[in-house]
Amino acid sequence: MTDAPALSVIGPDGDAGAHDSGLDDEQLLHCYETMLRTRVFDEICLKLQRSGRIGFSVPNLGIEGLQVGAASALRRTDWIFPSYRDFGMALYHGVTPLDMMHNMFGNALDTAKGRQMSVHFSFEEPIHFYSISSPIGTHIPHAVGAARAFQMRGEDHVCLASFGDGGTSSLGFHSGLNFAGVWKAPVVFLCQNNGWAISCPSSEQTASEGFAIKARAYGMPGVKVDGNDLLAVREVVSEAVARARAGDGPTLVEAETFRMGGHSTSDDPTRYVPAEELEAWGKRDPIERFEKFLVQRGLWSEGDCERVREEAFAEIDAASKEAGAEGAPGLETIFSDVYETLPDHLRVQGEATFDLARRKGEAAAGAGEFPL
Amino acid sequence: MAIEFKLPDVGEGVAEGEVVQWLVAVGDAVEEHQSVVEVMTDKATVEIPAPAPGVVSAFHAEAGDVVEVGAVLFTLETGGESAPDTPDVEVAAAPVEREAEDAVLTPAAPPRSPGAKALATPSARRVARGRGVELASVAGTGRNGVIRRSDVEAAHAAPAASSAAPVPAEAPVAAGGETRVPFRGVRRKIAEAMVRSRDSAVHFTVVEEVDVTELVTLRERAKTIGAARGIKVTYMPFIMKAAAKALLDFPQLNGRLDEEAGEIIHSHTVNLGIATDTDKGLLVPVVRHVERKGVLELAAELAELAESARTGRIGPEQLQGSTFSITNAGNIGGIHATPIINHPDIAILGVHRIMKRPGVVEGPDGDRIEVRRYMNFSTSVDHRLADGADGVRFLVALKGLLECPGLLAL
Repeated sequence: MTDAPALSVIGPDGDAGAHDSGLDDEQLLHCYETMLRTRVFDEICLKLQRSGRIGFSVPNLGIEGLQVGAASALRRTDWIFPSYRDFGMALYHGVTPLDMMHNMFGNALDTAKGRQMSVHFSFEEPIHFYSISSPIGTHIPHAVGAARAFQMRGEDHVCLASFGDGGTSSLGFHSGLNFAGVWKAPVVFLCQNNGWAISCPSSEQTASEGFAIKARAYGMPGVKVDGNDLLAVREVVSEAVARARAGDGPTLVEAETFRMGGHSTSDDPTRYVPAEELEAWGKRDPIERFEKFLVQRGLWSEGDCERVREEAFAEIDAASKEAGAEGAPGLETIFSDVYETLPDHLRVQGEATFDLARRKGEAAAGAGEFPL
Repeated sequence: MAIEFKLPDVGEGVAEGEVVQWLVAVGDAVEEHQSVVEVMTDKATVEIPAPAPGVVSAFHAEAGDVVEVGAVLFTLETGGESAPDTPDVEVAAAPVEREAEDAVLTPAAPPRSPGAKALATPSARRVARGRGVELASVAGTGRNGVIRRSDVEAAHAAPAASSAAPVPAEAPVAAGGETRVPFRGVRRKIAEAMVRSRDSAVHFTVVEEVDVTELVTLRERAKTIGAARGIKVTYMPFIMKAAAKALLDFPQLNGRLDEEAGEIIHSHTVNLGIATDTDKGLLVPVVRHVERKGVLELAAELAELAESARTGRIGPEQLQGSTFSITNAGNIGGIHATPIINHPDIAILGVHRIMKRPGVVEGPDGDRIEVRRYMNFSTSVDHRLADGADGVRFLVALKGLLECPGLLAL
């Protein structure tokens, strides 16, 4: 199976033949809207970052279909262990842009209370969206551990661990996949081969023939899929989720895609990404392709794209204003969130800290500087 | 109301950005998110958008200016009364009272009364020490009036500033019989490095004449051997090898000053910075572990570095960590020079052109006159860190090795 070419379902003209995705019309439109909302969220975050209102963001351009396709294969009782580019998965399952904006601004309503970087989301509702981690691949063994726990408890939840081609060079990738194979843990490994680990091309990331083939060494199937084809990703991930849920163990999915933007807002991809590659992949845009598919199915009409974009912009723009106006987490939360009841030694430290902050006035972040 | 838009940190820890171009004009109405200015940081060139709809009423920097993160870039009149939603995240804790402070404007603090210890950033203190600026006389523009490095630099430059003509944005512009070239980018970086060296190191320069007749013969043979392997062999790798050998005997010239620790570092390896003339200006890529490498290996590495420098593909890590530097003007002309030390190195070697001249050669039958080849070498030493005699001894050792280049094999 590993050597099979990447599965595609939607042709370049939008034709998916008689393929049955298992999604009804409403769900198909939800997929489309989620991709567009992901893209708009991205665009607004870039502007917010460039004007100094948020510290950091991570572009998703070009991989929206992959995220939504994979997310659509999960139940809300399942767990997502995302890479830092996967917030489309959260949007698909009903996390609101406002919830996300609270994190982007690191305000008092942020689930991490401003202690994480921007775009490093974590949500418990409406789906378990494990905290995004900047260190590469550290979440892979966590996903395996959680899956192992579900297995031991006799629960049929599945974990989806998502990472990039660069993530396969991490220690977590090896230890995670190794023990997932040993335990037949209910986990799906989604390797988003987007061509680049920051500026390191995937051709310099591995000496093996791609990434799916690595599954063999860990005793699990490896499958390649066209990552810009939402329905193909859904198909492959659904099959892997079904295997996992049935107790047949993990699967490694390699989704072939391309990161059309920078690695992050700190990156300048024009310095290293060849323009001709960008142009070629630009013709394979997952949203345009899905739009053609919807046209073929008679589900899309002229103006839908603009309408969804406008609605998404209004919603996300309002969310950014609301989250931006929210206050910062209180200084006391540094102390109050460590133990259930505050021990005396921390109380003393806390009071000293407040006193210092009051006297120096230097504890404030902002003024355009990175909060060190 | 007016928003004083400050340059944000657009790339996880950048300190400053150079204004590339303004994308709107003063007086233009802009939408929120509309790009206003293009700024180049160490990491990327980015477009900075307006944080709110309004009219851009003033630019606080011109194209080519380097602006520190946190400095005001432009003023935006929003017309509204409410506070803008530009970032000003403050710590809000129950026991802490927020100080009343304008949401965006940080007023410059007046100069403090003498005697009071001025609040300043560490880099501002260092620069002030180096340039003899009294911190108490500097107005701080940082939060709560903290003096920043730029404040010190501005105070230091103030007396001369009045005579400085504004630099036009376009480069280069001819105007009435003169050409004005913007002083920025690599040129400005070079200038900063030179001033840093001159302001800190006490330069002592010594020049020595070396008979390189044998070296010329040896290099001719090496050139043939190199050509067979596709390596271009110049005189530089021989000079590097000789310098590395001599430096191992005079470690007091091989290293750098760690100002913060108050220590002079004598390195046990020789990493040579090679001053290289490129289209963009002077770059000093570093060849590491010269003491362990052979002449051909050095030649190959030099060619690679020169190519990288020429095509602009040289990484910052390749420009750091020198323990000693060599500058070569020999292929252009001149008989000697006073090389400027590559800060924070202790010393530098200048290499000058080879000249044929009559020379006195001692033979068994007495002295005779021969056509010989001579080359001048100059060494500048930071007299704070080493003595002049060290420089002279080093140069004599180098002369010994280059006049009898077979010794390089020892």
